[in-house]
Amino acid sequence: MATSSDILYSVRNLTVEYETRHGVVKGVDDVSLDIRRGEILGLVGESGSGKSTLGKAMMRLRNGSARITSGELWFDGQNLMELSERQMRDLRGSRLGMVFQDPMTSLNPVQRIVEHLTETMLTHEPEWTEEEARARAEELVERLGIRRERVKDYPHQMSGGMRQRVMIALALALNCDLVIADEPTTSLDVIVEAKFLDLLKELRDEFNLTILLITHNIGVVAEVADRVAVMYAAKLVEIGDVNQVFEKPLHPYTEGLLKSVPNIELDSGALYKMEGSPPDLSSPPPGCRFHPRCPYMMEEVCPIYDPPFAPPEGASEDTRVACWLHHPHPQKVAIGA
Amino acid sequence: MNLPVQDQETAVPQWEEELARVGFVRRLLRARKWYGADWWFVAISSVMVLAFIVVALFPQWFAPYGPHEQVGPRFLAPGETPDLPLLIVRADSGLSTLEDLATGPDDEVSRPPIAVLRGAPTAGALREQAALLDDELQESDSGLRLRPNIRRYDTVEEVLQAVQEGEAFAAVLSSVQYEEAAGQFPDLDAPSDISGGVASAGDFLLGTNQIGQDVYSRLIWGTRVALIIGFSASLVALFLGVPLGLVAGYAGGKIDRVMTVFMDSLYAFPGLILAIAITAVLGPSILNVIIAIAVLYIPTYYRIVRGQTLSVKQEVYVEAARSIGAKPSTILRRYIYPNVIPSVSIIFSVNIADAIITGAGLSFLGLGLPPSTADWGIDIARGQEFIQTAWWLVTFPGLAIMLVVLAFTMLGEGLTEILNPKLRDR
Amino acid sequence: MSPLALIFLIIGIPALIGLAYIFVRGSAGLRRYILTRIGLLIPMVFILASLVFFVMRVLPGDPVRSSLGPKGSAETVARMREQLGLDDPLIVQYGRFLGDIVTLDFGNSLTGGRRPIIDEMSERFPATLELVIPAAGLALLIGIVGGTLAAARRKRPFDYALRLYSVVIYSIPVFWLGLIFQLVFGVRLGWTPIAGRIDPVIATTLERTTNILWLDAIITGNWAALWSSLSHLVLPVVTLGLILSGVFLRLTRVNVIETLQMEYIGAARARGIRERIVVGSHALKNAIIPVITLLGLQVAILLAGAVLTETVFSWPGMGQYLVQRISSRDYTAVQSVITMFAMLVALISLAVDIVYSLVDPRVRY
Repeated sequence: MATSSDILYSVRNLTVEYETRHGVVKGVDDVSLDIRRGEILGLVGESGSGKSTLGKAMMRLRNGSARITSGELWFDGQNLMELSERQMRDLRGSRLGMVFQDPMTSLNPVQRIVEHLTETMLTHEPEWTEEEARARAEELVERLGIRRERVKDYPHQMSGGMRQRVMIALALALNCDLVIADEPTTSLDVIVEAKFLDLLKELRDEFNLTILLITHNIGVVAEVADRVAVMYAAKLVEIGDVNQVFEKPLHPYTEGLLKSVPNIELDSGALYKMEGSPPDLSSPPPGCRFHPRCPYMMEEVCPIYDPPFAPPEGASEDTRVACWLHHPHPQKVAIGA
Repeated sequence: MNLPVQDQETAVPQWEEELARVGFVRRLLRARKWYGADWWFVAISSVMVLAFIVVALFPQWFAPYGPHEQVGPRFLAPGETPDLPLLIVRADSGLSTLEDLATGPDDEVSRPPIAVLRGAPTAGALREQAALLDDELQESDSGLRLRPNIRRYDTVEEVLQAVQEGEAFAAVLSSVQYEEAAGQFPDLDAPSDISGGVASAGDFLLGTNQIGQDVYSRLIWGTRVALIIGFSASLVALFLGVPLGLVAGYAGGKIDRVMTVFMDSLYAFPGLILAIAITAVLGPSILNVIIAIAVLYIPTYYRIVRGQTLSVKQEVYVEAARSIGAKPSTILRRYIYPNVIPSVSIIFSVNIADAIITGAGLSFLGLGLPPSTADWGIDIARGQEFIQTAWWLVTFPGLAIMLVVLAFTMLGEGLTEILNPKLRDR
Repeated sequence: MSPLALIFLIIGIPALIGLAYIFVRGSAGLRRYILTRIGLLIPMVFILASLVFFVMRVLPGDPVRSSLGPKGSAETVARMREQLGLDDPLIVQYGRFLGDIVTLDFGNSLTGGRRPIIDEMSERFPATLELVIPAAGLALLIGIVGGTLAAARRKRPFDYALRLYSVVIYSIPVFWLGLIFQLVFGVRLGWTPIAGRIDPVIATTLERTTNILWLDAIITGNWAALWSSLSHLVLPVVTLGLILSGVFLRLTRVNVIETLQMEYIGAARARGIRERIVVGSHALKNAIIPVITLLGLQVAILLAGAVLTETVFSWPGMGQYLVQRISSRDYTAVQSVITMFAMLVALISLAVDIVYSLVDPRVRY
């Protein structure tokens, strides 16, 4: 069990709502999550499950009409929800960093690489001189395997992998404690992706980083993450140690996800395809949100009662799952009481 | 900032796909449902445009006077009551116009006595009008003459007294003078004025101009000229620009390059200056104005149609259709027209607005239209001379231009929003 | 030295120095691009000039007939045709016309003192510059500041107000706005003079070199003349500038909104960059690039607007010259002025392209 000093960032009962033409939708629904110091936590889920919304909300970034309607965000002993926008801005880029999905579009096309870096540094450390910042930028870029001279280039003159390393450099520019990487490898090809993931692991040790890796790619998580959290229809359904989750998934959705990945060996030989599609978040199904697609659905429980997100019976505190297969059924509880 | 892509998929219906499959009319009807386009923008501007079209088609329903009629005193400010010389008679006398006072040719004795105020300008008006009438009567050979016996009095009361007591058949007083004293003489009546026009007091909503024409009536009649220029120039440009763009885009190669270079330089040239040159060479007439302005807008249609044709031509489904031997005419009708029509209709609306402004500019410079035309630009140009004294002469025609142009511009804006949702914020 | 030559020196020398600087410091690709672009200027001038020739000579309608009017006797018409060389074959006329452009010798004016047209234009050209440049500056200022603020406050009352402004101002005829300004500020309030470039009495005390009056006033230290010329300048510049500002406002607003939705803006915010810098620097720098390309096309509106504005304010520039010569039926002068405008358009589009290549690092040479 992790002690509170081990925990760098703690999300408590976070709900994010946004408005659409079909009414108010909960993009993140009552999610609680702890990120430990120095770990790489993988957050997986399908498109539309709310994982990116969660990532942006953790930085309190404005995201369209999305609003945090309830919950607490504890970062290193501070509740971010109580900070002013100004204080929040000071944290972004200096202690909380973000790496976006598409490095092509996340760098300003008319700004040189070095200007991106020095601008970030000078925003947070105004007493640094231009030369200091520039020197540090060159050093950093070189550490990440880009030649020093290339800092004068514009983003369009660099390859996808190089640009993604620049994005990392931006997060490292002021030694961020937590880096939220939102689908950082999706737009990279496989070889560049592998190199990038190796670099990520190296940097974690070297700079003492904590990384939240948001992805829809289970393979990426298997490669680098220490722990994994699975998100489905705006809610967390399972969290646990990466080896344990991959060997013995508890939630039927996690199981389905793993079975549908071709290169991870599970007992079934043929490639598995999950039934149905994720629910429309403007009117999610009652009870457990996964029940319409669940092969183990129990008629008298799952469509009616929302399962708690808690450690399963007899397991350690580190693992949590939201599934009635692993919790005492509500009827039984009622009868027992 | 946008929602991340993943979340948008669940939040927004797939209208973009639907949009690609349906035609012009269904887009208009469904745009609001699909992506919340503000149809009322189109509704309001359409009503305005329709209203202007009705006014242009039937100006006589709205205008109290003809465009060239000189109906009132000069330089009457908006809302100001004209001070007309009135003919005043006894109510029971049966007389109603100056003409009724005419008598036989040589009957010196019965020259009708008419009372006027000494030194007032009304006496002059009476003399003028009577002389005019006399000439008319002589020409008509009716044997009648009007040679009034003008009698002068010192006060308004004395004048009216004279009529009441039968000392004079009638009196001529300015309407302001008469109204002040009318209460004391209930037996008297003012059946007509002798201004020579047909106007009665308070009829000039927006005042009159330097030659006594009704500003409001000229505004109404001017709508016709403005819309004729706007619509015809845009239509001519459309009928030339669209086929040229289709040919260039579809044929490609050398034809395309030569035409595009030519069209681009035409497009870059300051429109009004080119129109000035063309009208200067062709001479003044409404047809020449239409030609000059139409030339300016050919490139706008050409460019958009050519571009769209090029991109549609490269679509996979069109290449597929061509590979199974579809005729060019089929490809044009089935694939290219539906893609081009929305843009063309937007440009059409905006071009009408532009053409009206350019046409007004030309006539303001004294080019293009014959100088007597009831046209807003001409009215502004003529009013400019009197700007120090008569503000209404330039103000109202300008407002009219602004309103018409605004209606067509807004229609274009609304259509853009509905037909081209991706450009919604432009 | 003629004022025109002086103007060319004043604008041309810094432009040449700038070009030389770009040439030395820029990459080989940029150098090649600028050279090609200057090379392209020649065909563009050629095409525009041919267009003018086409309009003036090939269109139906006889310039001599329309310039002499119904009063011209057959004899007069024939004499004038011969004088203008209109009896030669079209191709010979065309060659002569192009030759005139190269030598900048447009012949003598048919009216007044029969002075060389180039001299008359060189007196008028500075007046047009004096009007057009500050007007364009004002329009850009209103457009860029307003458009950026509207985009940053999107869908709030300020944004709606500015959008309304841009649609309404687009619908107002420039000459009418000028007249209304004369009416309000000149006639009613009496704040500004309503016509001309300078008080005629003060004008006699001003020694002219560039014929840009405020500049001459500063050079000679004639403060009364400076004040008079500036107060005459206000209304025309504001009129023309406001009319143009609507287009720039729209363009800037749309482009800033579009760039604000870009990922790199979110990324900049995620790095804790201040909102003012995110909008004012990151978004604006990207949004301004398409605005610059469209600036080239707005030149057409600017020059057309200048003709009308000059007419309203009796501003003795090229536009007023054009209108005067049309009404005095001086066909040669009309053709020359229009050719001059065509060359101006070509030159400005060259300048815009070069500025564009400097501003956007992504431009492919």
